[in-house]
Amino acid sequence: MKAIETKNLTKIYGGHLKAVDALNLTIDEGEIYGLAGPNGAGKTTTINMLVTRITPTSGTAIVGGFDITKNSIDVRRLIGVVPQDFTADEDLTGRENMMMVSQFYDVPKAKAQETCNSLLKLVNLEEAADRLVRTYSGGMRKRLELIIGLIHEPKILFLDEPTLGLDVQTRTQMWNYVKEIQSRLNVTIILTSHYLEEIDELAGRVSIIDHGKVLITGTPAELKESLKGDIINLTLSDQKGADLMKTAPDALEVTDSGPNAVRIKVISADESLPKIINFISQHELSTVKLTVQKPTLDEVFLEYTGRSIRDEEGEDTRKMAMNMRRARQ
Amino acid sequence: MSGLWPLTVRELKKWVRNPTFLLTGLIQPIFWIALFGSAFDITRFFPQASSAILDGAPNYITYIVGGVLTTMGLFTAMFAGTQIIFDRRLGPMGRFLSSPIRRSSIVFSKILSSVIRIMPQVVILVVAAYLIPNGLEFPNGFTILDVLVLVTAIILVAFIFSSIFSVIATRMTNMQSIFGIVNMVNLPLMFMSFAMFSSQMMAPWLANIAQYNPVSWSAESIRMVIINGSLTASQWGQVGEWLGALAALAAALLLLTAYLVEKEIRD
Repeated sequence: MKAIETKNLTKIYGGHLKAVDALNLTIDEGEIYGLAGPNGAGKTTTINMLVTRITPTSGTAIVGGFDITKNSIDVRRLIGVVPQDFTADEDLTGRENMMMVSQFYDVPKAKAQETCNSLLKLVNLEEAADRLVRTYSGGMRKRLELIIGLIHEPKILFLDEPTLGLDVQTRTQMWNYVKEIQSRLNVTIILTSHYLEEIDELAGRVSIIDHGKVLITGTPAELKESLKGDIINLTLSDQKGADLMKTAPDALEVTDSGPNAVRIKVISADESLPKIINFISQHELSTVKLTVQKPTLDEVFLEYTGRSIRDEEGEDTRKMAMNMRRARQ
Repeated sequence: MSGLWPLTVRELKKWVRNPTFLLTGLIQPIFWIALFGSAFDITRFFPQASSAILDGAPNYITYIVGGVLTTMGLFTAMFAGTQIIFDRRLGPMGRFLSSPIRRSSIVFSKILSSVIRIMPQVVILVVAAYLIPNGLEFPNGFTILDVLVLVTAIILVAFIFSSIFSVIATRMTNMQSIFGIVNMVNLPLMFMSFAMFSSQMMAPWLANIAQYNPVSWSAESIRMVIINGSLTASQWGQVGEWLGALAALAAALLLLTAYLVEKEIRD
């Protein structure tokens, strides 16, 4: 069964600004699905429509079997949302926040207490559970947001930039929590992130969105393969050998990359590397260094959107810093 | 209504956990009755006519207790909306809106919690008014029915003004704007009513306006039961009219609030 299916989902603001343009997505039950795209691509507007925060201008979306416009309350009962911004009340404790949200979903008290304890344990927040949220660090708040979204055991979880503004160590920790949650609770997760390595690490499939449209969908591996170009970096003992490599088999493009070094672009390094090694031994060349570079999702993103996602990050980090400041005031 | 009670409990927890907010709210009634009782007591200038000016009240404090209680309820209720703006700016609103609770329960929790917060203030104010020299007297006794009139009037005033200001807040993103509106209307609402002065002490045009002010209806109802104790049938008729008008207005505003908020609450 499909967890989410959108048909020509469209959102137009002010009669002319097309934030989402006839978007078609199909997300299977139990998968982690990544949505990547530059700022203003339509990711958050798409998510906001799917979680019934805003109504579409046209098109439809079925979330967990319910129409987002006709059965918005049923959709909200079924989904969990972990928004980009902090939503926990800092004048309450972590546990109080969770129990309050459980009441929004009419979870019986005993059941809510049990789920609350197991989720707090899952993300290592047991000791801090009865402290006011205002005393939490940024990483602890993010972990709390993650489990608040799970207190009613939703079938579908929307994770909007779950690690934005976190340090590398905490981010890796969050990834482990997300994987654990997905495998333990068998929840469908829709993940938006600016960190493409995060989508690469977590998502089974990913759609790259720009100008409100899906540009490409596939597994991270498929998307990377779609670029048709692995890079083999080779440094030889002399320039003569480096020049000879320009006639290497399977080479789509060979460029000089330094003294005695070449950069060979091939369709698939896995297939071409043995041939290139044979070529080197046939010509009795002496190699100093050989590395293989597979394309990353960053390169896929650049290829399809014409922009590097790194350009987008500066703005988001500023936004995060502002949120943190606002939360502390 | 799913969400109303947990959200109301949240508001009350935040109130109790903020010592400044809690203490100032509890001390405020003492200041009000002591200062207003002295500052506005114009019967000092007309000692002979004081009973007539004060509708038969033995002293000015007894006369204004109903007005001060109502005004205090009014001021507390007006600020109910500010929490909506805080929730929007600090993030919790996003959580509420993506959950299956009714949009209106977000606003009603602010209204209900402000009504609850007013109650201890009412008790403190009545006790303070009773204890200060030349203070509150019950010349004709005070029955449980009178207590009910007092509490009902204040609750209805609180519902009326917290509804109005909560709906305004749902359409605002700026805290300064809501404070500006509160500051613009609070004193006119108080002085264009019979909260502090009887109609004989006012310019006729002002008394004309004041009779349509819900603050007057509440102040007059409370005053009537405090001064008269056990009411006559015609006095009950008058109190019933005032409370009926307050109840009708409160019900209409609560329904309008529910309609407007379900229709649109800004994130």
